[in-house]
Amino acid sequence: MWARMWEHRALYVAISPFYILFAVFGLFPIGFSLYLAFHKWDGIGVMTYNGLNNFKYMLTDAEFWQAVGNTFMIWIYSTIPMLFFALIIAFLLHAPFVKFRTLFRVGYFLPNVTSIVAVAIIFGALFANNYGFLNYLLQSVGLPVVEWLNAPWGIKVAISSMVVWRWTGYNAVIYLAGLQSIPQTLYEAAKIDGASAIQSFFRITIPMLRPVILFTVITSTIGGMQLFTEPQVLVGNDGGAGAAGMTIVLYLYRESFINNYFGYGAAVGWGMFLIIALFSIVNWKLVQGKSS
Amino acid sequence: MVCVLLISGCSIWPGQDDSANNKKVTLTLWYWNRSIDDKLIARAKEKFPNIELTAQKIGGDFKAKLKTTLAARSGEPDIVALNDWIMELFPSEDRFYNLYDLGAGDIEEQYLPWKWKQGVTPSGQMIGFPMDTGPTALFYREDLFNEAGLPSDPDDVTRQINSWDAYAAAGEQIKEKFGGKVFLTDNIGSVYNQVLSQGAERYFRPDGSFIGMDSALVRTSWDTSIAFKEKGLLANADGWTPGWNAAMNNGEIASFVGAVWMKQVLQEAAPDTSGKWRVARAPGGDGNNGGSFLSILKSSEHPQEAFELVRWLQSPENQLEQYQTLNLFPSAPGVFDDPAMKEEEPFFGGQATGPVFAESAQQVPDAFFGERYPSVHNIITRRLNDVAKQNADPQQVWTDTVHRVERELQR
Repeated sequence: MWARMWEHRALYVAISPFYILFAVFGLFPIGFSLYLAFHKWDGIGVMTYNGLNNFKYMLTDAEFWQAVGNTFMIWIYSTIPMLFFALIIAFLLHAPFVKFRTLFRVGYFLPNVTSIVAVAIIFGALFANNYGFLNYLLQSVGLPVVEWLNAPWGIKVAISSMVVWRWTGYNAVIYLAGLQSIPQTLYEAAKIDGASAIQSFFRITIPMLRPVILFTVITSTIGGMQLFTEPQVLVGNDGGAGAAGMTIVLYLYRESFINNYFGYGAAVGWGMFLIIALFSIVNWKLVQGKSS
Repeated sequence: MVCVLLISGCSIWPGQDDSANNKKVTLTLWYWNRSIDDKLIARAKEKFPNIELTAQKIGGDFKAKLKTTLAARSGEPDIVALNDWIMELFPSEDRFYNLYDLGAGDIEEQYLPWKWKQGVTPSGQMIGFPMDTGPTALFYREDLFNEAGLPSDPDDVTRQINSWDAYAAAGEQIKEKFGGKVFLTDNIGSVYNQVLSQGAERYFRPDGSFIGMDSALVRTSWDTSIAFKEKGLLANADGWTPGWNAAMNNGEIASFVGAVWMKQVLQEAAPDTSGKWRVARAPGGDGNNGGSFLSILKSSEHPQEAFELVRWLQSPENQLEQYQTLNLFPSAPGVFDDPAMKEEEPFFGGQATGPVFAESAQQVPDAFFGERYPSVHNIITRRLNDVAKQNADPQQVWTDTVHRVERELQR
């Protein structure tokens, strides 16, 4: 085998940059964080072996579990409307009567390439308790103001709306690609058999889109579990009032980089890995399950 | 492109070696914008012809960049500016030169003693050289105080609103006069911070042991903040937010106790209120909030030259100059009587605020912080916010906070 590899050495050298970079910036940090999770380290001084203490602390830490709960709540608040809107937008974009489709596609994709920090600042101005645009609207129609950023649900709604705004277009474009791959003949056959538009949507479009829906659910799960910049810029490192915007990654960041518990932060990272893995499997089973 | 990155990352080609025929010592200095005047750095280059000074303005999260550099043990600067989080680095004192070994003791009496001690670790090593300080005072709206029937001349305010109780009473008068449209002060955290900053201890003793949540100072600070909330004196406007700026600019907040550097923050946040603000001594006593230090890292090959540079940069005269150019308040009391410190300021209605802060700076009580101060302090202020903004039961929150702090100290 080595002889064959040596024979093709030029090719191996040519593909090596990816593997070298992956080893340095991907593999090593993963391994190091696992090592770190069993140690106590303030980031500068000596590292001391800490056994399973980091994990024990994590499992008994009310703030960690609150962060897990917050993350799931925000994920639900954002993913369901986001995928729903994305599907509708994709369906409309696919309809033959829509003109300037490319323009719309670009338009829907734009939020996704906007800097999250800028987005969070704008949403902060929208949801601000005093002088916020939403409260201005509420007041101008005679409704009482809502202290969005002081109420636990308000903070979650604000963060979720940012996620929805940013990712709906992205998912719509993916759904659109899925829609375009469904053979037109299926719809024609259904039409001849007398199926209504709604029937063909639920009996043809949705089943044929299942792999694409599975893909978007999994990516939104991973993205949702890793939510960080939106809450950090909107409500700060402590997750805002009542820590209602404290997500798992924000908690990891605060414990490592603000409170200097790097070993503990690594343990939280691995805890999060397990949660994402489990959650992705559950999602996969749920979405897959329908077909059988 | 990847290949280019790889090659430039590891220096395969050594730089031209000019150390052989040039005796210049190369020093790197890390600081953040507005912590040292760029003109002063330019002058330092003239003053020390034997030093090749590379001054780098580090943007973004300065502390995180410094810590990762220290952790990596490579690319460290010779001299680095530190903020008031210096105590977090005390456990790593061996990574810094003891400035006493380099001759800092000779000039110790030129600086405020409490400030000087903040740069000295519990084992007696001096790792931070004093830069600017943050003495506190009461910022208040002269017109609003006047309208509410309160004293409005700075001297009268200092005399009459001399305790937190008197300050709260003034707040109730303001609340009544303006029908709840004007609040006495900004937020619960700032009340807690300021009462705490006036005390002679924090949460830990110099030997590292925890004083306990039932220390008189912590209880007083907590109870005072809760009382301010319950009396409805807080606008719940968090610092560094557009909401705070707007509330200040629209005259919804009549006063706050803040450090000297808040002058700049306030002027930028509330330009429309120019001329209406005044500064008096803080109710309940003087305190300090913020301020910075210069350190010399152990990795430096030229500590003595670095120390001479630090000493010159932060000499009383140069501190005075930076007060004029960047509003950095000196930690060398010898220059407090200079006319430059007594200039009238239009934003404060022609009041010369320098002497108020100078008086305050000389009365700041000595206090030991300890490296776990930030995490304990953060837990408490976080919980106070739950009381202020979510109407959580103060007794319940207190019990919860004590429990949380105990847990924190166990790890």
